[in-house]
Amino acid sequence: MKKYAIIAGAAALAITSASGAYAADDAKAREQRWTELRQSVFGDKQVEQQDGLITLDAPVRAEDAALVPMDIKVSNPDQVKGLTLIIDENPGPVAAKIDFGPAGDPGLLRLRTRVNAYSNVHAIAETKDGKLVETVKFVKASGGCSAPVGGGAEGTVGEMRLKVKDEATAGKSAQATLMIRHPNFNGMQKDQQSHLYTPANYIKDIKVTYNDKDVFSLTSDISLSTNPVIEFGFKPEAKGQFKVVANDTSGGHFEKTFDVPVKTQ
Amino acid sequence: MRSLALAAFAAVALVSAAAAGGSGSAPEPEGLWTGPIPGYTPSTLKGAAVIDVAAAGSLVDKGGAVFIDVTEPDHKPAALPPTALWRPQHRSIPGAVWFPGAAPGDLPPAHEDALKKRVETLTGGDKAKPVVAFCHPDCWGSWNMGKRLVTWGYTKVSWFPEGIDGWQKADRDTEVVPADPDWAAVTKQEAGR
Repeated sequence: MKKYAIIAGAAALAITSASGAYAADDAKAREQRWTELRQSVFGDKQVEQQDGLITLDAPVRAEDAALVPMDIKVSNPDQVKGLTLIIDENPGPVAAKIDFGPAGDPGLLRLRTRVNAYSNVHAIAETKDGKLVETVKFVKASGGCSAPVGGGAEGTVGEMRLKVKDEATAGKSAQATLMIRHPNFNGMQKDQQSHLYTPANYIKDIKVTYNDKDVFSLTSDISLSTNPVIEFGFKPEAKGQFKVVANDTSGGHFEKTFDVPVKTQ
Repeated sequence: MRSLALAAFAAVALVSAAAAGGSGSAPEPEGLWTGPIPGYTPSTLKGAAVIDVAAAGSLVDKGGAVFIDVTEPDHKPAALPPTALWRPQHRSIPGAVWFPGAAPGDLPPAHEDALKKRVETLTGGDKAKPVVAFCHPDCWGSWNMGKRLVTWGYTKVSWFPEGIDGWQKADRDTEVVPADPDWAAVTKQEAGR
C-alpha cells in the first residue's frame, strides 16, 4: 500500500517537473521572440517597463479569435504621442501603429484584432520626450488570422460610420467610435467554396482629423478584424467636423466627413 | 421502453447531424483524401485509434510516442508592404515533428517517399511504436497522415483530430517547432511561404 503511494507520488512528480520544464522553456522562447520583435520594430531603443503609464485590457480567453478586443489605456495622455500594438505570435506581429496629433487623446484606444495562436500581446507607448514604455498581456485565442470572413462583410466596401459617445462638451475630452466596412482580407484566409487563398486586401492606413487638426493616424497590416472598429479619444471644440481618410492595399481610397454636435459650457 | 425510445432518438439525432454536415460528419474515403484540406472529416479512421486531449496528453507525459504535426504553414499575403514585419513561427505540442505541406493526399512521389523514410527514422524502424497524427480540427491533413501510417504498416496509430487547438484550449504548453529539416530540404517548405 505504502509502496503504491510512493510510486504514484514519484509519477506525479515526474509529470509535474516535465511540464514545469516545458513551461520554463516556453517562457524563455516567448521572451526571445519579444526581444527579436522589439529590436525589429524599435531598434536599439530601450523599452521600459514602467508601472502605470500604459495598460492593456484584453480578454484572457477570447470567444472569437478573429474578433479580439484590445483596449489600450494611458494614465497620463498629455505625456504620450504614439502607441504600438504587437501580437507576438501573429506572423505579421505589428497589429497597429498609432500617432496622435493635437486634437487626439491617447487616454483610451480600442481596436478589434485577429490572434493566430495563444500569444503575448505588447502595447507600447511613446512619450513626447521620446521614451518607450511597454505593457504585456497573455491572450488565449488561436486561428484568428486564417478564420474565414463570415457574414457582416457585405455592403459597400469603405462605407464609414462615426459615433461620438455621450454628448461631446467643448474643452473636455470625448470618445468616438469609427467603423469602416471592409472585409480586411489578410491573404491568409481560404475561400470556403473555391478553397483558394483570397488575395489580401486590407485597410493599411487611416487618418482622422478634427477641424483640420490631426486626431490620429494609424497604420496596420494583417491583424485588424473584418470591418475595423476603432474607438479613440479627441478634444472637442465649440463646433466640429471630423474628416476620415483611409486606404486599402488594393488602391481603394475612402473619405468621409462627419459633423459633430458639441455642447458648449 | 424508455431506453428504446431514447436510443431511437439518439439514432435520429446522429443521422440528422451527419446529414446536416458538421465536424466528423464525412464518410471515410477508401484511400487518402485528395480534396481540399480544410473541411469536415470523418470521425473514424480504420486501423487507428481516435484520441482526445487527455489521451494525447498522457502519451506526451509517458514519452515514447512520435507526434507528427502536418499543419499547413502560414500563407504569406502577396500584398504585404515591404516594410511590414513577416515573422511566421509555428507552435506545436512539445516534442512534435512538423511536416508543413505534408497534408495533401496527392503528394508528389518524391515527397511521399521522403515522408515515409523520415517516419521510419523517427520510429527507429519499429512499426509497433505509438505514432500520433494531428494538425487542426476540421482538417484532412492529420486524417491523411493517420491513413498513411496505417497503410505503411504501423500498428499503434492514433489520430488526434482536435489537434493544436484542442491542446491549447486544455491549457497544455506548446513550443515553437521548426519545420523538420530533412523534410524541408526535400520540399523547400518553411514556416511561412
